[in-house]
Amino acid sequence: MLFALFESSRSALASIYAHGLRSFLTTLGIVIGVASVIAVVSVTQGMSSFIGDSFASLGSNSLTIASYTPFEDRMKGISARLTPEDLEMIEKRAEGIASITPLLYANRSSQIKYGSQTAFSQIMGTTYAYQDVSQSYTQHGRFLAQTDNLTRRRIAVIGDKVRENLSLPDNPVNEYVDIGGEWFKIVGLLETRGEMMGFSQDDIVLMPYATMVSLQGNQARTDIQIQLSLSENTEVEDVTRQVTTLLRNAHDLDNDEDDDFIVQTAEQLMASVETIIGMVTIVIGGIVSISLLVGGIGIMNIMLVSVTERTREIGICKAIGAKRHHILMQFLIEALLLSLLGGLVGLAIGYGLGTLISRAIEGFPPASIPLWSVALALGFSGFVGILFGILPAAKAANLDPIDALRYE
Amino acid sequence: MALIELQGITKYYEMGSQVVKALDGIDIEVSRNDYLAFIGSSGSGKSTMLNILGCLDRPTSGEYNLNGKNVEILDQNELSEIRNLEIGFIFQSFNLLPRANALGNVMQPLIYRNIGVRKRKEMAMEALTRVRLDDRVDHLPNQLSGGQRQRVAIARALVTNPSILLADEPTGNLDSRTTIEIMQLFDELHDEGQTLIVVTHEDEIAQHCRRIVEMKDGRIFDDSIVRSGSAKVTT
Repeated sequence: MLFALFESSRSALASIYAHGLRSFLTTLGIVIGVASVIAVVSVTQGMSSFIGDSFASLGSNSLTIASYTPFEDRMKGISARLTPEDLEMIEKRAEGIASITPLLYANRSSQIKYGSQTAFSQIMGTTYAYQDVSQSYTQHGRFLAQTDNLTRRRIAVIGDKVRENLSLPDNPVNEYVDIGGEWFKIVGLLETRGEMMGFSQDDIVLMPYATMVSLQGNQARTDIQIQLSLSENTEVEDVTRQVTTLLRNAHDLDNDEDDDFIVQTAEQLMASVETIIGMVTIVIGGIVSISLLVGGIGIMNIMLVSVTERTREIGICKAIGAKRHHILMQFLIEALLLSLLGGLVGLAIGYGLGTLISRAIEGFPPASIPLWSVALALGFSGFVGILFGILPAAKAANLDPIDALRYE
Repeated sequence: MALIELQGITKYYEMGSQVVKALDGIDIEVSRNDYLAFIGSSGSGKSTMLNILGCLDRPTSGEYNLNGKNVEILDQNELSEIRNLEIGFIFQSFNLLPRANALGNVMQPLIYRNIGVRKRKEMAMEALTRVRLDDRVDHLPNQLSGGQRQRVAIARALVTNPSILLADEPTGNLDSRTTIEIMQLFDELHDEGQTLIVVTHEDEIAQHCRRIVEMKDGRIFDDSIVRSGSAKVTT
């Protein structure tokens, strides 16, 4: 059996080599299929390992608490929220918290003007504690101070991207910008943090929490986010449990009711982002694998042609003693080798493509190919080869030697 | 015991509603080292006879003993094995594998015997030397002349050391000079003890043989020993 396998591979290779161009064109479908799978996987995998790194740098000792309204409740007009009272309560009663800060996102236009320049940015109201929680520091000027909050000062700390968009000077401290029709003095410029997943982390405007509240006017239903960092030697799970209990009590939730808030760690955030990337990989991979099927049909087509073409040869081989399995094996292995070769070429091209894509887009993480995708691509193309090789090979093996010998 | 024993062999083909009797009750024995020619006009059943003798086809009825084995009951795979072990084919149109060189063609039947490549090469070289073609081993069939191609085919038939050589119009595609060469080779093989069966419609070819069987309408019309002993003929 092994002997026959070896001999069949030898003659299959010879036959593939003999029709070089045709073999290449035949495998093109597989090549393109595998190349696109690998390109997609390498880019998304590179991205996900990069995201992992970025989250790790965020520190795993911070928690984000946000309100959560199930979709059904939202349809009924009910919306859960977190209030400043919740924050106060957590701050007072939970243990193991190093610093805690509210985050209030602007609910109106986030348009910023400076001179004739206009830009849009993410505007948040927060407190001095945000500096510790998010590990963001200023390169010019100062961060928000506690007194800023108490006196609702109209000041802002901006990210570098905002400065760039508004054509502010390199040191924008003491310049005034227009946010939502109010004048704000810039007191600090944050350190550059770069991009994450193609989103700038420097496109951000921070103002005192109280200022943001007053800007939003008499909004009775303020919904804030709470960010907190843990003190050393504190378990994330421990704090999560405390916060959950406190909030459930404060929100009067019965035992059978679900939480109306979510407590997220950086790890959970990372996990959810990775879930999304995984889904994208699977969906795109699925679409692309259709092209592998098409490639397989191409191989079947050419193998059928090749069987017809070589009918006489098959007849000769049968006359001098080839059995069914000799012929079957030869054509099956030829189909298998064709698609495996296509898979290998596709692998190389796909890797090149992935690298090219990640190089071409600035700030994009480098491509990386996990071993499982290599195994999958080759395994799948091999499977396609065998699947679509069976029919032609069986046709060849079942030829009658006399008819085959007579075939012109 | 005779090498080949045919008893009441028939081969019928159905052509629509008509039944064509290609072979209609053949009884014949061929002994070892026989040198036999089947002659007859086209449609006489020669080719069908060759297919049956060569185990390419199975008879409709009758009994066929080849080298002591009952052949007519075997399936396609078993027939392949018998062909590989017992029979060497030589065809009118040579039937070489176009993409393999002379050596590769001669090695081919040995693959089906699971013989390793080194041993295969050795045996093939021996066979090619026997047909005086050892200087052309790496030529492809289309780089060889007709006579050379037929000699490669003969080497391929000989390499398995078969019980019988079956030649179907072996010189049909050759000029007269190469015809003589090939027939001389056949004569030599016969002298060495090989059993040969030649199907032909040319009298000259048949004259080389020791025994001539004439066929007509699927039956044996005449079966005569022409010469006994050596068949060496100078032409």
